[in-house]
Amino acid sequence: MTDGWRLFKRAAEWLIEAVVRLCGWSAILFIFAIFFFIFHKTWPLFAEGFDLREFLTSARWQPTSTVHPCYGILALLVGTLAVTGLAMALAVPLGLGAAVYLSEFAGGKTKEILKIVIELLATVPSVVWGFIGYMVLGPIIIAVTGAPVGVNLLNGGIILALMSVPVIVSVGEDALKAVPDSYREAALALGASRWEIVYRVLFPAAKSGLLAAVLLGVGRAIGETMAVLMATGHAAQIPHSLLDPICTLTATIAAELGEAPRDGTHYRVLFLIGVVLFVITFIVNLTADLVVKGIRTEKE
Amino acid sequence: MRDDVPNNTPPKYLLAAETAEGAVITLGSADSWEELLDLLAGQPENDGVPPMAYRLIRTAETEAAVKKKPRREYFANFRGAGGAGREDDGTESAPWWGLDHAAANLAARRFDDLPPLAVREWIRIRHKEPFTPGALERRKRIKEAVAEYVFLAMTAALVIPIVAILAYLVVKAWPALSFSFIFQNSEDSQAGGIWAPLVGTFFLVWISLIISAPIGVLAGVYLNEYARDNWFTRLINLAVVNLAGVPSIVHALFGVGAFVLAAGMGQSLLAASCTVAIMTLPVIIASTREALAAVPMAFREACWNLGATRWQTIRTLVLPNSISGILTGVILQVSRAAGETAPILFTGAALFTSFPYHLDQPFMALSMHLYAICTQLQGVSDSVQYGTAVVLIGLVLAVNGLSIGLRVYLRSRKKW
Amino acid sequence: MTAYSIQTRDLNLWYGKFHALKDVTVNVKPGVITALIGPSGCGKTTLLRSFNRINERYPSVTTKGEIEILGKNIYDSDVSLSELRKSVGMVFQRPNPLPISVYENVIFGLRVHRRRGELHRRQLDAIVESSLRDVQLWDDVKDKLRTKATRLTLEQQQKLCIARLLPQKPRVLLMDEPCSALDGEGIERIETLIESLRHKYTILMVTHNMGQARRASHECLFMLLGRIVEHAPTLEIFLNPKEKETELYITGRYG
Ligand SMILES: Nc1ncnc2c1ncn2[C@@H]1O[C@H](COP(=O)(O)OP(=O)(O)OP(=O)(O)O)[C@@H](O)[C@H]1O
Ligand SMILES: [Mg+2]
Repeated sequence: MTDGWRLFKRAAEWLIEAVVRLCGWSAILFIFAIFFFIFHKTWPLFAEGFDLREFLTSARWQPTSTVHPCYGILALLVGTLAVTGLAMALAVPLGLGAAVYLSEFAGGKTKEILKIVIELLATVPSVVWGFIGYMVLGPIIIAVTGAPVGVNLLNGGIILALMSVPVIVSVGEDALKAVPDSYREAALALGASRWEIVYRVLFPAAKSGLLAAVLLGVGRAIGETMAVLMATGHAAQIPHSLLDPICTLTATIAAELGEAPRDGTHYRVLFLIGVVLFVITFIVNLTADLVVKGIRTEKE
Repeated sequence: MRDDVPNNTPPKYLLAAETAEGAVITLGSADSWEELLDLLAGQPENDGVPPMAYRLIRTAETEAAVKKKPRREYFANFRGAGGAGREDDGTESAPWWGLDHAAANLAARRFDDLPPLAVREWIRIRHKEPFTPGALERRKRIKEAVAEYVFLAMTAALVIPIVAILAYLVVKAWPALSFSFIFQNSEDSQAGGIWAPLVGTFFLVWISLIISAPIGVLAGVYLNEYARDNWFTRLINLAVVNLAGVPSIVHALFGVGAFVLAAGMGQSLLAASCTVAIMTLPVIIASTREALAAVPMAFREACWNLGATRWQTIRTLVLPNSISGILTGVILQVSRAAGETAPILFTGAALFTSFPYHLDQPFMALSMHLYAICTQLQGVSDSVQYGTAVVLIGLVLAVNGLSIGLRVYLRSRKKW
Repeated sequence: MTAYSIQTRDLNLWYGKFHALKDVTVNVKPGVITALIGPSGCGKTTLLRSFNRINERYPSVTTKGEIEILGKNIYDSDVSLSELRKSVGMVFQRPNPLPISVYENVIFGLRVHRRRGELHRRQLDAIVESSLRDVQLWDDVKDKLRTKATRLTLEQQQKLCIARLLPQKPRVLLMDEPCSALDGEGIERIETLIESLRHKYTILMVTHNMGQARRASHECLFMLLGRIVEHAPTLEIFLNPKEKETELYITGRYG
């Protein structure tokens, strides 16, 4: 009986380990599955001789035109880049500034509270941000600038900035916190003030971590869907001013997939945009990860 | 000797002191520069309040008038101590220490091209109290204060508008918020009543949690307890990082391709839950790993030494000791799942469906509902829209607050 | 003119509730090397760190009593910490060069304490060279001035940590076990280096190594449990200690 029991136990252990292993590998599985299923849907396009060059270089996005549908995503790409760029222009200085304040200047209770507030901000759902852009910020922009519509590049940029700030702050703060205290002490003992420590010691020491923070913010902004869908006005054009409505890659998919006839060209092209997004964010995240790894190996 | 000296009478050197009140008192005179420096070196040090400055003056014998401005200014610590042999240049940042030190340096004229003083010229040596801020230091302090306030302002610029916006939302939503708004269904979506979407969100969260929690926790266990440090593990880590970074709309496409179409689930609660589950998986994996990594290695080793297998150790020791951290991650997953819109947009959420929900039928969700009443449906009153938004935020923040509270509580009673 | 460069009177220091320094009264002379010895945890580092007030980083620290450095009470309200630390340089137990280039490490103090543009490139070069020569590091690193300082060997790093104090013309050098991270020859070279610097500075050095205290110092301060037990010329302390505890300690009976 004891032998049987032991055998059973060994088998159970083996089984459990197998399950754990499988779960461990699941992340890889899912990444491949995501890529496969999206790419799979676009495959017939290439069999039909889809013009990939036009897809990437034309600014004409007229998928529903009955006469001559055009599938150029340049305007969408520019829209994504513009709104991301604007968001980063606002979020990076503020986010890194807040990270510096939290890690080097704020003390005790203030720090705890601010960190919790920023952490909570990170969880406000994107649809709520979109709602805020649409209902609150839009009218403000109209009132201040006199623009005909309030949902535009500027609106989307501000909303996206607010959304990506928590990531930048928390990753940036981690990067600053990871700088060994002995550096601060050394600089302090040489008579440096806190500000001098920040920009003469911490910035050089933590630059890759701070870069990673920015990249993660960029990744977040590029991939954001609901907020930009609701706040940017959804007009597939290359913007010429901050007050032009724009359209992004993500918003296009979200807005048009529901209406596109299943397995038509438009439908498949939307999946192809998904592939483009997947690749872009993959590259951004990979870079951020390598940058972080870079710091870690250098530390050792 | 310069040409412009009026007559043959040798010019006179004077040593004077400036007092704190601004008076200039002559302390003595000398016939030569060297003698003057001796006089300076002989001044008493370290007794009470030193003068503000000494003046080394060369006058014409006939008149006492001197030029308004000194030819140069130096700094020295009149209290002395610690000077001898050092190479200071008498500037504010490297003052001479002690009058004899100052005199020696002036005699050697080591620090500038100082020619002998001309008639009516003079130099000033000011007292520099040790360790007190000079002009540069004072400017530095201002810079420091400015820097601190700028960083504070940057932080405030982030936090205040957002908090203000949230407060504004609540104010606008106030008229709509009521018991019946939350707990009743309206016939049309116009009048409010968000019970149906609320329940839908509840189902979505639970089903996705049931799917993602076991996979996520076990994946975290694998990564922290089983995985060796090799290329394959790095690959898994990379996959986790990237899974977290995949845009939500791409997850939606995946959900459509894999669950709705390939798996034949159709647009349904199940398909949407699966999509959200995969999307939130990295949250659980990451926080599980973190929680497990916080359990000291020594605990495990002690357990292994008793002959326990790996899994026994994990089950009886590692998991119980990290369960709270894992729970935090699970709660975080819940709050994310509750707020997501894009991934359920095409996988199962509907603008309007009938109660009750079935796994294989479309359902309503709060986030989707907010999107719909805001942009798709006409004529929904503002306060209903704001009310829905506020309930959604409140839900997510409450869940999150729970996780933060749990973490703070646990940190306060951590044993090791 | 005071004969001592560091004087403390009834200095008491607490970390929270823990009384780390008890009524410390010492007088340290300029121009000689004073060694601070005592068993682990007796407060040597703490005492050293109160002289440039760097202990105040920790919010839990409270200090009572007087410290006069070069005749100035460093707790006076007009004292600026930055100026104090410029004049009172510190070398830490573990070499801690800043994660910037060797060159920038040496002139870090100048960058902090001088106006921008006050010093020209050529002057800076000269200062870097002379500081590195002073610590006998120039020949080793003259081709590596642009590399990150954290890439140097430990001994080079520690020398660099001494070198970077020199351009600011400090008055006092505080050294907390400067050799503890080094091997035999490194220790010897750093000791020679410290000896060569002593004429220009007041040097206070913590050490655990009795041999080093004996070799490299002129006066010895023996501490025990936060108190100064004995302060005397090194030879006297080693040959003819007055206190029982000192004798026990230097003969290696405890600590
Ligand atoms: N930051 C701190 N907070 C609380 N207690 C401290 C702190 N630093 C030191 N102590 C305590 O103060 C006492 C003196 O510490 P200190 O580091 O000055 O000793 P030391 O003589 O330098 O020892 P060692 O020879 O090991 O370096 C020790 O008991 C130590 O535990
Ligand atoms: Mg110590």
